[in-house]
Amino acid sequence: MSVKSLPWEVGVAGLLLLGLVTACVGVVGPGGSDGTVGVGYVGGYYEPYVATYGGWGRGYNVAPPRGGDHGDHGDHGDHGGRGGPPSIPSRPPGHH
Amino acid sequence: MSVLFDRTRHPLRGLLALLALTTCSVALAALPLDLPPVSNPASTEHHPGKVIWADLVTPNLGADESFYGGLFGWTFQTIHTGDTDYAVVLLDGRPIAGMLQKAIPAGEKRRPAWLTFIAVRDVDAARGIAISHGAKILSEPKTYAGRGRQAVFADPEGAVFAVLASASGDPPDFLAAPGDWIWSASFEREPKQSAAFYKAVFGYDVFDVPSDDGAEHVILSSDDYARAAIHTLPPAHRQPHWLNFIRVLDTVETSAKAVALGGRVVVEPYVDRHGGKIAVIVDPTGAAVAVLEWSDTDTKVEPK
Repeated sequence: MSVKSLPWEVGVAGLLLLGLVTACVGVVGPGGSDGTVGVGYVGGYYEPYVATYGGWGRGYNVAPPRGGDHGDHGDHGDHGGRGGPPSIPSRPPGHH
Repeated sequence: MSVLFDRTRHPLRGLLALLALTTCSVALAALPLDLPPVSNPASTEHHPGKVIWADLVTPNLGADESFYGGLFGWTFQTIHTGDTDYAVVLLDGRPIAGMLQKAIPAGEKRRPAWLTFIAVRDVDAARGIAISHGAKILSEPKTYAGRGRQAVFADPEGAVFAVLASASGDPPDFLAAPGDWIWSASFEREPKQSAAFYKAVFGYDVFDVPSDDGAEHVILSSDDYARAAIHTLPPAHRQPHWLNFIRVLDTVETSAKAVALGGRVVVEPYVDRHGGKIAVIVDPTGAAVAVLEWSDTDTKVEPK
């Protein structure tokens, strides 16, 4: 058998196979373990299942700090001596 | 051989057609998402450590669009590429989040969740620092035209978050409008140790907040603004995680509406120490989000 005897279909098939492998690498890509959504986009993640979420309530303080509210309470973190934490931005959009 | 390559019988052409069809299908599925910029118009500002985006992964995009649209007035711009359906969440025409439709892996018990994206200047540098401080890489850095470069990590306790180097700069520091993200918090077993991790990755200033609720509360700040908090994982919770807060005008009313739209209230509205009410709701597919009242008449002195 000589090379000349190979029909053009063989060459096309080879190129298509190469394209298929390349595309598959793009689809599978990174991620895909531990709940990540690795198909084309890396932004999705499913958390481990929990039967009940929440359950806490009054007294469990999770809101952002208000400016001035914490300044007198001291600071036991690695920011000692500089007062309490700052607050979140308060300027309305469009104000500079 | 003469039979195999007999052109009059075209033995390979059927196979070629099938191969071509398969290749085209897979290649279409591999097309990158064309995601909108985080900042529009583009910003020249960079705020490493600021939460600048959130993505929901959901098995039922339609149900969540109805829920969040009805609850917060969000609208959606759907992007379909290959086998990926992604809805950009718009508030008054401005992109604030995304929702990704994806089936829960077969045989696994998983919970839909909002993924918190924190701004960095260099995703790959953040990856290196995160790994060296005990993080696990869940999705390697990847660049999306328009959006920027992003990656997904689990912190040393397992709480999942993402980092994003926005291609359009970071949004300016303004008070969130009702319906927009206003706050984020991570719930961890050892808040102070976790704070050290996040400080290493994002360069935060770290503040302990004294509290009489028996829990530890740590505030993470950058640019002289509070960016996020880390709290002791509540009792009965085993998995450290991030939770994002949306500003609302009336927490009680929003909670009731969430139920009417098919959601559940898992933390009933209560007054936090700053006077505003907080609640945590779960959408129809099971993802949790907090709602928070926040008066815009605080006493914060803006940094110069």
